[in-house]
Order: sequence, then C-alpha cells, then structure tokens
Amino acid sequence: MTIQWWQILLITLYSGFAIYDGNNTTFGTVKPTMAGFVAGLIMGDVQTGLIVGGTLNLLVLGVGNFGGSSMPDYMTGALLGTAFAVLSGKGAEFGATLAVPIGLLMIQLDVLARFCNTFLQHHAEKLVSEGKLKSATHMNLYGIIPTSLSRMLPVFLALVFGSQFVQDVVNNLPMWLMNGLKTAGGILPALGIAILLRYLPLKKNFAFLLVGFFLAAFLKVPVIGAAMIGLAMALIAFGMDNQKSAQPAAADTDDEGDMEDE
Amino acid sequence: MSNKVELSKTNKKTFWRWYFFGQAGWNYEKMQGLGYYYSVYPLIKQIYGKTDVAAEAAINELQFFNTNNSMAPIILGVDSAIQEKQGIAAKDTVAGLKTGMMGPFAGIGDTLFAVIPNTIIGSIASYMALKGNPIGLILWIAYGFLRLGIMRSFFGMGYREGVKLIDSLGNRLKKITSAANILGLTVIGALIPSVITAVFAYKYKQGGVKISLQDMADQIMPGLAPALVVLLAYWLLGRKKMNSTRVTLILIVVGILAYNLKIFA
Repeated sequence: MTIQWWQILLITLYSGFAIYDGNNTTFGTVKPTMAGFVAGLIMGDVQTGLIVGGTLNLLVLGVGNFGGSSMPDYMTGALLGTAFAVLSGKGAEFGATLAVPIGLLMIQLDVLARFCNTFLQHHAEKLVSEGKLKSATHMNLYGIIPTSLSRMLPVFLALVFGSQFVQDVVNNLPMWLMNGLKTAGGILPALGIAILLRYLPLKKNFAFLLVGFFLAAFLKVPVIGAAMIGLAMALIAFGMDNQKSAQPAAADTDDEGDMEDE
Repeated sequence: MSNKVELSKTNKKTFWRWYFFGQAGWNYEKMQGLGYYYSVYPLIKQIYGKTDVAAEAAINELQFFNTNNSMAPIILGVDSAIQEKQGIAAKDTVAGLKTGMMGPFAGIGDTLFAVIPNTIIGSIASYMALKGNPIGLILWIAYGFLRLGIMRSFFGMGYREGVKLIDSLGNRLKKITSAANILGLTVIGALIPSVITAVFAYKYKQGGVKISLQDMADQIMPGLAPALVVLLAYWLLGRKKMNSTRVTLILIVVGILAYNLKIFA
C-alpha cells in the first residue's frame, strides 16, 4: 500500500495541532492513544492505530514534561508507527516498536524548539523596553511556530521519504530480530509502570498496588473494575483524612514548602 | 465565596489568554515568562494605559515564571486583584508573590493535574485501546473540560480571596492528592498483569512428562512474568547513570534476547 497525499497532509497537521494542545488546552490529542487512533482512522486501519497508540501510551503513563524537561514524544511516534505499520502490513507490534526510537529521537527536536523560543523571549524584552508592549505579546504566539514545526517537519518528511526506507528495512530484517522486537514491544509497558512507581509514593501505598494486582491477576477483573475499587478505597481514605484533621483545628499552619506528596 | 465579586472583562481575557496560550512561548530562559506576560497584557493596558510605568509593569511580568499550567490561574487571579488595587506600587509584591507561589504550586499541580489523571485515564484508555476499543479516549476529552472548569474557578478564587487562600487550598489539594494516589496505585497494580505481554516459552519434555514453565509460574502466581519485568525496570531506574531512555533501550535488548534464548515467547 502506498500513502496518499491527503493522508500525509492530515497526519502532519494533526501533529502540529496536538503539540499545541498538549502544551496548552490539554484535550488529549497529544496522548499516544489518541494519536494512534486518529492515524488509524486516516490510514484506514483503526485497530492497528489503537494497538500502536495503546502500547506507546503505556510507556509514558504518568510522565509529563514537568518544569520543561523534554520527554520521549510518543505522539509523533504513534502517528508514524501506525502509518508505517499499515503501509508495511507488518502489524501493530512492529509499528509500536518502530515508534520507540522515533519517540526518543524527537526529544532532541523538542529541545531545539524550546531553544528557538528563547530568541522570542529576548525580542519581547527588547520590544517592551522600546515601549511596544502589544507587539511584545505577539512573541508568545509566535512560539507556536517552532513548537509545531518541530513535529510537523519530521512527520512530513518521514511520511514522504520514509515509507520506502521502512519497507526496505523491513524486507531485510532477519526473523530472529523481527520476532525479538515483537517480544520487546510486549514488555516495554513495564517501563512506564516502573517510572510511575518511582514517582508516586509507593512505600505509603504499597498495599493498594497489591490489591490492584490481585484483582487483575487472580480474579481477572478488568482495569476499569479495579479502578472502581481503587476509587472506593480513595474515597474512604479521603473521608478518614478529613475526620482526622477536623478534630485538631488549625493545628498545622506552616508546612508550606513540602506540598509535594512525599 | 459568599461575597461573589464579578470578574471584569479584562480579568476574563487574562484567564482565557492563559488557557489558550499560556505555554505557547515556553523557552529555556524565562520558561512561562512570555506566556504570563501575554496573559496579563490586557490588565497592564487597562491599569497603566500609555503611562511611563506601563513598560515597568510589563518587564516585571516578563520575568522568569514556571509553575503547573493548570494551577497558574490562581496566581494570575491574585496578581490581577493586587495590581487593580495598588497599581505599580505593588510591583515588588507581585514579583515576590509569583516566585513564592510558583514552586509549591508546580509540585502539587504536576501530581494532581498531570501525573494522576495521566495515570488513571492513560491506563484505562490504553487497556481498552489494546483490546481494539476507542471508547476510553472520551475520558481524555472529558478531563479536558473538567480541567477547564477547575482552572476557571481557580482564577476566581485567586482573584477574590487573594493570598490568604493559598494555605487552605494547598492543604485541601494535598489531601485530594494523597487519596488520588491510592486510586492511581490500585490501577497500576491491575495494569501490570493486564497489559504486559510476557509469557515463559520454556518447555521441558522427557518421555511422557511435559513441563511448561508458564504453567508452573501460573501455579505460583498468575502474572509472575510481567511482575518480574516491572521489578527489573524499577530496579534499573534506581541505578546510577540510568534514565528512562537507557532503560527503554535495555528493555528492547532484553526482549530480543529473551525471545531468542527461548525464555519469553
């Protein structure tokens, strides 16, 4: 299968919008699940898109670019991974594994875009000192250009020139590597989970991790069912916490500074 | 919030500007400084107009600023209220307030508005997506609207109640965060055996006796292999000189090896 120009156009536009949305309005378009789904729609294979997106999303579950640290961009990864999976006909697992190095490479371009915006900051400061307050505000909006281009250009180029390349790679990959990559794709979600376990207060809440695992592994409860039990336990804990702090009124006045849990 | 002060048109503009473009000009030097200035520009224009102090107030708002995107409206609200009352005299107060609040708000906001929703929604949406079902994606959009509502009320709270709100709100959010962590960890626990595909491949056959390692593992604990892989990744992340990129690459190598050594199918 070859890619159509309108498919290239739509996927490219999506990548530019998604990164804007992820940084500002946050309606989930930057999430790999959503990107994979949309790419699947565009490429005419929603199932593949969902699996590529779902696998990649698990890799960056709780991660956000806090304080401006760049993270693997599996939105772009999901778009390209889905497109190449459909084009090569090698299946969703292949697409997901292919997307991993793409997502990792995108870190560098994200850094570059944020670096470009530094010039806009300087220019805004210069404009303000000249009394051009309104023109200075425009610099903020121009920041969208480097950020969006940092996704749109690589997506566009990869779709225009990459298909043949990926096809060649696929045709020359030995079976042991191909299948090995599939297995790798299966265990990669463990990383996203491990990152979260490092971030969330695990020691205090280890019991709840066990409960969730038990529900799914032994009782085969779907994740949504486990989430409901988790919610129930969270509500109970919240109620108890409120009762506790209602008694010693205004006992804790100054513990700012460690608002971060744990 | 009994005495409801109406937000002016300028206030609303400030909020929406942040909502749509708060991080548009994010850069390494002043981070959200550009977006913050962009957001309060209508306020500066309204209060200082074409006076000489306008540029002074503008520079003050262009400084380094970085906090959680969803929490920032509180600070914008407090800032708006103070400058409307005191004008340029509040310049240092505003600067101190911004730097004082952005740190604590970043920590609590990143957990409450990013890590936890991303974990819970991400888990459910990914789990369903892997089964070929796109319904979970609606949760992302629903959360987008919920977050918008919260951000709007944050701006109003900051504007009406000012600095005195910060302590009580911080406490409340802390409680919500620690309860939400329980939900998050339960979901993660359920996720481990549900989404990680690791099946022992090793089979031993001698005479009429057939032993499959996976069957044995299931006897001990279903989901043993996925749990072990998570443990490995968790341990790796804790090592010195390790970051998530390196662990990603290591896991890919582990996967290829495990397949070819017939450990995992």
